[in-house]
Amino acid sequence: MPSHALTIAGRVIRQLIRDRRTMVLIILVPLVMMGLIGASFPDESVLDYIAPAMIATLALFFSFLLTGISFLRERSQGTLERLMASPVTRLDVVVGYLFGFFLFALAQTSIIIFFTIYVLGANFMGELWQIFIFQTVIIAGAVTLGIFTSTFARNEFQMVQFIPLIITPQIFMAGILWPVEQMPEYLQWLSKIMPLTYGVEGLRDIMLAGANLLDVGFELAVLIGFTIVTSILAATVLRRGAS
Amino acid sequence: MAQEKSARPAVEVDNASFNYREIKAVDRLSLQVPRGISFGLLGPNGAGKTTLIKLLVGLLKPKSGSIRILGEATSRKTAHLIGYMPQLHSLYSELSAMQNVDFFARIYGLSDKKERGQKVEDVLRLVEMWPRRKDSVMNLSGGMRQRVSLACALVHRPPLLLLDEPTVGLDPELRVTFWDYFTRLTGEGATLIISSHTMDDAAHCDSLVFMRAGTVIAGGTPDELKQATAKPEATLEDAFLYFIHLGDKQHA
Ligand SMILES: Nc1ncnc2c1ncn2[C@@H]1O[C@H](COP(=O)(O)OP(=O)(O)OP(=O)(O)O)[C@@H](O)[C@H]1O
Ligand SMILES: [Mg+2]
Repeated sequence: MPSHALTIAGRVIRQLIRDRRTMVLIILVPLVMMGLIGASFPDESVLDYIAPAMIATLALFFSFLLTGISFLRERSQGTLERLMASPVTRLDVVVGYLFGFFLFALAQTSIIIFFTIYVLGANFMGELWQIFIFQTVIIAGAVTLGIFTSTFARNEFQMVQFIPLIITPQIFMAGILWPVEQMPEYLQWLSKIMPLTYGVEGLRDIMLAGANLLDVGFELAVLIGFTIVTSILAATVLRRGAS
Repeated sequence: MAQEKSARPAVEVDNASFNYREIKAVDRLSLQVPRGISFGLLGPNGAGKTTLIKLLVGLLKPKSGSIRILGEATSRKTAHLIGYMPQLHSLYSELSAMQNVDFFARIYGLSDKKERGQKVEDVLRLVEMWPRRKDSVMNLSGGMRQRVSLACALVHRPPLLLLDEPTVGLDPELRVTFWDYFTRLTGEGATLIISSHTMDDAAHCDSLVFMRAGTVIAGGTPDELKQATAKPEATLEDAFLYFIHLGDKQHA
């Protein structure tokens, strides 16, 4: 464990908690979204099918955006420069952010899951702890992708532009709304290189078919591989603009 | 001949250059700063003061030439020896003044809770921010942020302090307090390198250099620099202008 990672994680958490409005939005927004989705699909089986995909997507979306913007601000307010001048390593920073955002993303995930089960009345199989572990891997990839992407944005406006570029195509091509097999072949290929595809696939297997983590081992491996690659990329470009 | 590390100067810059594309921010600059003094970097906007400080911190690597800090080449190993205060107060705006200082105290290895608590309190009292310690940085005035930023650089009591315009935005009374404290630090053996535009700061330094266009145009104690103008009434401001014009004549 990099020695300063926990210190950085603690700071990330404190920062978010002190920003009350963001805290409220983190909890409220996914509930509103799930509520709307639940209300617009009167047929329960459709909700059952859509819900796992939404859980994976919201985790990707929020973790990516929150990390990206936090990191962007670390850069623009000059604290990253201070960190880079200190004994902290780049790995400390990446791992610190990972731990810091896990807490929020997992809290959000639990809220969404309990809301869909108990309020919207979706039917789920699969064990809760396995859902959480799988979800953790999706979040890890989203956090490191967020750090990496934020190096290419100079301000919040630019960071938000990365959503239609990086997140939206994944939503359309991950088989959330219609099966991947019904898409043109070249889009199917594109969908195969998108991490969300594996997140949705794996979470559906667990939640709809009661699969365990071993059954979704392939999806899990792809997501872990994605996280490792983006962590390395994030650590490599971390210093950009720090001096 | 290998000198003892502890006997080497605090800072040794040997013919160092750094450029941002075609802009030569630091141009074949050489400098030696002995230990235990306050050393001023004076110069107009764009003279290369910030760039030089970033080279000393290790944030930038010289394109040529070499830099040593307390007898060692700058690296991650020398990072804990340095207290760095960037030109822009780089703080976490949602966090309180105290949380900011505490964070940097941890990062610089003050892991013992009691010891850290005491040092954080000491430094916040020093910059007279103890009564406002719980306020978010975003609710502080510019000068207060400057003070918190200085506290973050001082909290681990490093032997070498690199402060980029630390007195900007401070009221006159606090300036005096700061300089009293800087003098106490050098008395305890620390070395301070301070960039500034004001001749008031310059007069407080034990030694200083005038910089322009990435090079040192003159150096010495405040008195030596004033005497070089050969006018008995000369101020440091006069001395600075004198050396700039001298440089212009030699270029012409
Ligand atoms: N990130 C950067 N990219 C490009 N050029 C830069 C960058 N930072 C500084 N420069 C250039 O390098 C030169 C020296 O700048 P530097 O910031 O070191 O000056 P300074 O003496 O600190 O000035 P000031 O008193 O205004 O703080 C300037 O010409 C500046 O435009
Ligand atoms: Mg400067």
